Amino acid sequence: MDDIDAMFSDMMQEMDLLTQSFEAETESAPLPKPPSIPAPQEMNFSIGFTDLNASLHDLEDNDLDALMADLVADISATEEKFATERDTFKGSAPVAQIPSQPQSNFNLIASTDTSRPATSSNSIAAPPPPPTSKPSKEELEEQMKADKIKLALEKLKEAKVKKLVVKVEITDGSSKTLMVDERQTVRDVMDNLFEKTHCDCNVDWSVCETNPDLQTERAFEDHENLVEPLSTWTRDTENKVLFQEKKDKYEVFRNPQNFYMWKKDKKSLKDMKDKDKEQLLEENFCGASVIVPDLEGILYLKEDGKKSWRQRYFLLRASGLYYSPKGKTKASRDLVCLVQFDNVNVYYCKEYRIKYKAPTDHCFILKHPQIQKESQYIKYLCCDDVWSMTLWVTGIRIAKYGKQLYDNYKAAVRKAAGSATWANRTIQTSSNASTPSPTPKAKAANGHASHPAVETKGPGNQTSFPPPPPPSMEILPPQPPDPMLPPPLPAPSSTTKVNKFPPPPQFPQSSIPPPPTDDLPPPPPPPEDAEQPPDFLPPPPTSMTSYGGAALPPPPPEPLASLPPPPPAPQNFASAGGAPPPPPPPPPPPAPAPAAYQPTNSVRKVAPSPPQRTTPQLAAPSGGDFMSELMTAMQKKRSQP
Amino acid sequence: AGYRECVCVQVRMAAWDLSVSVEELGPDAPPLKISVTSDLHIGGVILKVVEKSQIKQDWSDHALWWEQKQQWLLKPSWTLDKCGIHADARLCLTPQHKPLRLLLPSGVTLRLRACFSSPVFRCVTGLCKLLNIRRPEELSLLWPVEEKKKKKDKDVEEELYDITLFRRVFICALAGIIPKLANGMPAFFAETPETEAVYKMLAVSQPAPAPETIAKLYRSTNITEKAHINSRWLDSSRSLLQQGVKENDKLLLRFKYYTFHDISPQADAVRLTQLYEQARWAILLEEIECTEEEMMVFAALQYHIGKVSLTEQFVASCPAMDDLDSALQCLEVKMEGESSADDMLETMTAPELHDYLKIFRPKRLTLKGYKQYWFTFKDTTISYFKSKEESCKEPIQQMNLKGCEVAPDVSVAGQKFCIRLLIPGPEGMNEVYLRCEHEQQYSRWMAACRLASKGKTLADSSFSSEVQSIQSFLAMQKTTPSTNAAQTDESINTHSLVSPRYQKKYKPKQLTPRILEAYQNVAQLSLTDAIQKFLQIWQALPDFGLSYIVVRFKGCRKDEVLGIANNRLIRIDLSVGDVVKTWRYNTMRQWNVNWDIKQVAIEFDGNVNIAFSCVTADCKIVHEYIGGYIFMSTRSREQSNTLNEELFHKLTGGHEAL
Repeated sequence: MDDIDAMFSDMMQEMDLLTQSFEAETESAPLPKPPSIPAPQEMNFSIGFTDLNASLHDLEDNDLDALMADLVADISATEEKFATERDTFKGSAPVAQIPSQPQSNFNLIASTDTSRPATSSNSIAAPPPPPTSKPSKEELEEQMKADKIKLALEKLKEAKVKKLVVKVEITDGSSKTLMVDERQTVRDVMDNLFEKTHCDCNVDWSVCETNPDLQTERAFEDHENLVEPLSTWTRDTENKVLFQEKKDKYEVFRNPQNFYMWKKDKKSLKDMKDKDKEQLLEENFCGASVIVPDLEGILYLKEDGKKSWRQRYFLLRASGLYYSPKGKTKASRDLVCLVQFDNVNVYYCKEYRIKYKAPTDHCFILKHPQIQKESQYIKYLCCDDVWSMTLWVTGIRIAKYGKQLYDNYKAAVRKAAGSATWANRTIQTSSNASTPSPTPKAKAANGHASHPAVETKGPGNQTSFPPPPPPSMEILPPQPPDPMLPPPLPAPSSTTKVNKFPPPPQFPQSSIPPPPTDDLPPPPPPPEDAEQPPDFLPPPPTSMTSYGGAALPPPPPEPLASLPPPPPAPQNFASAGGAPPPPPPPPPPPAPAPAAYQPTNSVRKVAPSPPQRTTPQLAAPSGGDFMSELMTAMQKKRSQP
Repeated sequence: AGYRECVCVQVRMAAWDLSVSVEELGPDAPPLKISVTSDLHIGGVILKVVEKSQIKQDWSDHALWWEQKQQWLLKPSWTLDKCGIHADARLCLTPQHKPLRLLLPSGVTLRLRACFSSPVFRCVTGLCKLLNIRRPEELSLLWPVEEKKKKKDKDVEEELYDITLFRRVFICALAGIIPKLANGMPAFFAETPETEAVYKMLAVSQPAPAPETIAKLYRSTNITEKAHINSRWLDSSRSLLQQGVKENDKLLLRFKYYTFHDISPQADAVRLTQLYEQARWAILLEEIECTEEEMMVFAALQYHIGKVSLTEQFVASCPAMDDLDSALQCLEVKMEGESSADDMLETMTAPELHDYLKIFRPKRLTLKGYKQYWFTFKDTTISYFKSKEESCKEPIQQMNLKGCEVAPDVSVAGQKFCIRLLIPGPEGMNEVYLRCEHEQQYSRWMAACRLASKGKTLADSSFSSEVQSIQSFLAMQKTTPSTNAAQTDESINTHSLVSPRYQKKYKPKQLTPRILEAYQNVAQLSLTDAIQKFLQIWQALPDFGLSYIVVRFKGCRKDEVLGIANNRLIRIDLSVGDVVKTWRYNTMRQWNVNWDIKQVAIEFDGNVNIAFSCVTADCKIVHEYIGGYIFMSTRSREQSNTLNEELFHKLTGGHEAL
């Protein structure tokens, strides 16, 4: 119980702190001053920045607004709850509350003294009348405690959703900053980026991570969550997030023959009919289990802890990457498993010829995503040429992700097709888009709807609470050219590019009996009635009789449906309503050197706490510092001429 | 009455004697001589024979069999003349349905009545209907391997289920009616406890066999022997009797075409189980090769399926149960969403483990060994302190297990219960060993570690079942495996889960931890999911779905192997075992068979022509395989369940179809 008590009062203090910072801004009634508390920072709040301040400065206005809105909603929700609690308290009958779950990107818990009574916070309502008899007082105390616990638990639930401010570098050297919450997939983030960058939405666009220490690069798969892998980066990381086109990403779905029939001469496969490609995909990706390309061949493996590379004969199987030891056959039973794919990802490497004395520069590694530096737990492999590297890396991705990869591709194709029609509109309105758009499901699950008071923009919920800085920007200067906008990824080119794109595969078609039908002579006259008894005709004819596809019936008259009309491009525009395009943020400050990073921060660095059920002990990071950063950022913006 | 008129008409024509033997009169009885004319219909002949035999019984299933020609005379309206029957013909009046011993993929023998007069394709369709297996076109019958009779084994009675005596089952099979389901099984099976037991045998996988059973069974050691198996398939377009199958003979029922269309766990209880059994035996008998890692996963799944089958029966066939999982999940989500504060309190202040454990980090260059600390496990994190009293202070270290690898390091005999953790960090993986004192402690901490590695906390609903499954697996090690024991309730000899190669390579106590390691990833699967997972991994094996035939390519001097799969043909060098060439069906223009010189010729796009003669099997079998796979590919996405038998025969029948 002590824990809970402590936790609760901590939380109350935190609330006070937050509330107070807003109070200061809006100059409303002062609140009890919170004791100065050590406010640990949320460690992984931003990615691609050396400090939080920089990241906030970089955040586009509308993102900032959204962030503010979230926070305000968070606080006002808590306010609301306080009120409710007071009421409940007066009536001294506990009422089960439906927990509201506004988005919250940080934990509102700090560790401090437990002595301070929780009720001393910004309550206007008087504490309950002193109980008349002693036993009832005890009861009341118990009641109080129970209520506290209740509130604490609710708060904990709210604190679940984590957000990151991420700086994404774009091929042309510019960058975009956006807020990503942990429920968003890479697909969501890319949709967001499409709107921000006005690029064509072709399927090759990828969000990649680079690691300068290991000289690696990996494109995140579209279904992955972005926050999770980024959260495992070290605080002083120089890793970057890139947004770029990667031809390799979905090449296997455009030209499956090059991967699944890799042994054949590539030239002879060049003219493969679309129909045959579709059938290949159907066979390999739509069956009961995904078939992995039967890759095999010599690769170089860097020997554990040594500088030397050793040739080995490798084979790819769905269950892992194997090699056949010297002197043994390629038979399955003799294979040695180098690695299974459950816990590792595959990364492209750069310039390993210099770094590790690799035989060629076409290297890839397999490692646990959390490993960020050279380690004996990394498997280093080297191929003879680029194409074989592409083959292996793609093969491993298929083995690891299976059908998901194909689903991602289909979603990407739909998106690309959709964007072609919506291109114009997107260009006009995209500057509005900002808030991270959690998937609709996530949004619903977040309880926005269930608790009206939490509505971000709802004016009604601010009665017990000073209003946040209004999102409207009348006092702000006219809009100068947006410095954040990347040099045009020209829109016209984008449309042409989309058109060049291979038509989406028409899957229903593949239900047709195999192709031979087409090329064969018309079917022979039907043999005699099936009802007749086995014929008593003399023994088989001596001539060559011809069967084959000829006997096949014409393909079933199946509707050769092309893909359904593309859905309209998802509109991730902010709910900011008809607000005019917000002004630009202040220019980003020069990025401080990594050295500027304060060591104190890293002391408390623990592995990221899981989103579920954080307990106070572990959830050390608090929003305290962050809030003040945020406020200064906002103030700075406002004070700009 | 119609026949009687006919008989009256016959009198005027030249009459001759036809000899017809009747089975019911006994094997030694002389054939009946009946006086017939050439324009007498087959139906009339039967009538005359029946009258003459003076046996009163139901003759409706009987038909005439022409022994010399090895033909059935199934058209009652055809005249003797039209059939080509003269006085020298010896006919036999015999039932079309006869008892047959059917060896199922699960290894169980079922005695039932099969149709001996219709083509094997239709016969199998009937059998499958009876056994409630959908998509009968994927199965066929084949001759068993000739067993070298050892006198010692003679007394070993094979397990036999006999359903020939159940009248209703027989009638349903005759009529080809798909009976209504009762209790998730066809109604005729629900009739008596005996039939119910038969259905249970069909729909529930068999317990793991004793290791000796596996070792004793015939195993094909090389590709040529595998090719010989395929020479035993029966011809789909001819009847059983025509192919020399006799009453009470033993035939194997197997999935022949490795393309399993439209499997749905609700409707396919028997089909899935038998498919699983076939796959399991293929792996145990090394008919299909796999790596050691894959074998361990297969073993873990077999163990799990065997265990769950004992408790969770008929789940697959009961539609109400099938959504149970999702319903439970919904409920869980709902409860999370709507829970009152009290519930929340319960779920959120949850569980925590703390205990004195010993820790060892091999990385630190010391020989210190295990050191005792006070450990707490919260959420996904382990912290440890000098002592219980200091647990309120800063921990000595915290380890978040999310994404880590967990492996057991256990020896029940040696009372060693260690958990090996590989915890990822930016610098690499940190290896940590935790040593527990006893089983209970171990299973709780192990379960917590496993859940944490998947990002789940102790509060997760699967915690207790995880603990249980760990304990039951430990129990496996405790019981000294008596070599002969098949799987009983908890104890099992791990040797019965792997092929003889690994029985030889590892002792059971070496094998158990390895299987346990693989088991942790499957322990939470439901029966149906586990079976499907098994099938998936099987189907992902590189050699899956290949049927081998030894052939001699035109112009070549040595034998080679042709592999036939659902989408391609491959040519394999017999000496090295390498795939030399692959041809896909979708580039195939036509294939021809010269039945006289037994040569198959195939033409592919781009003027590619190949021709080969078949060495280990009749070319009809090759022809049927290719045609069969093409037939299988025509049915994809077809909504109707009707089987296009005619098309099948056109594609596979050979000269007889023309």
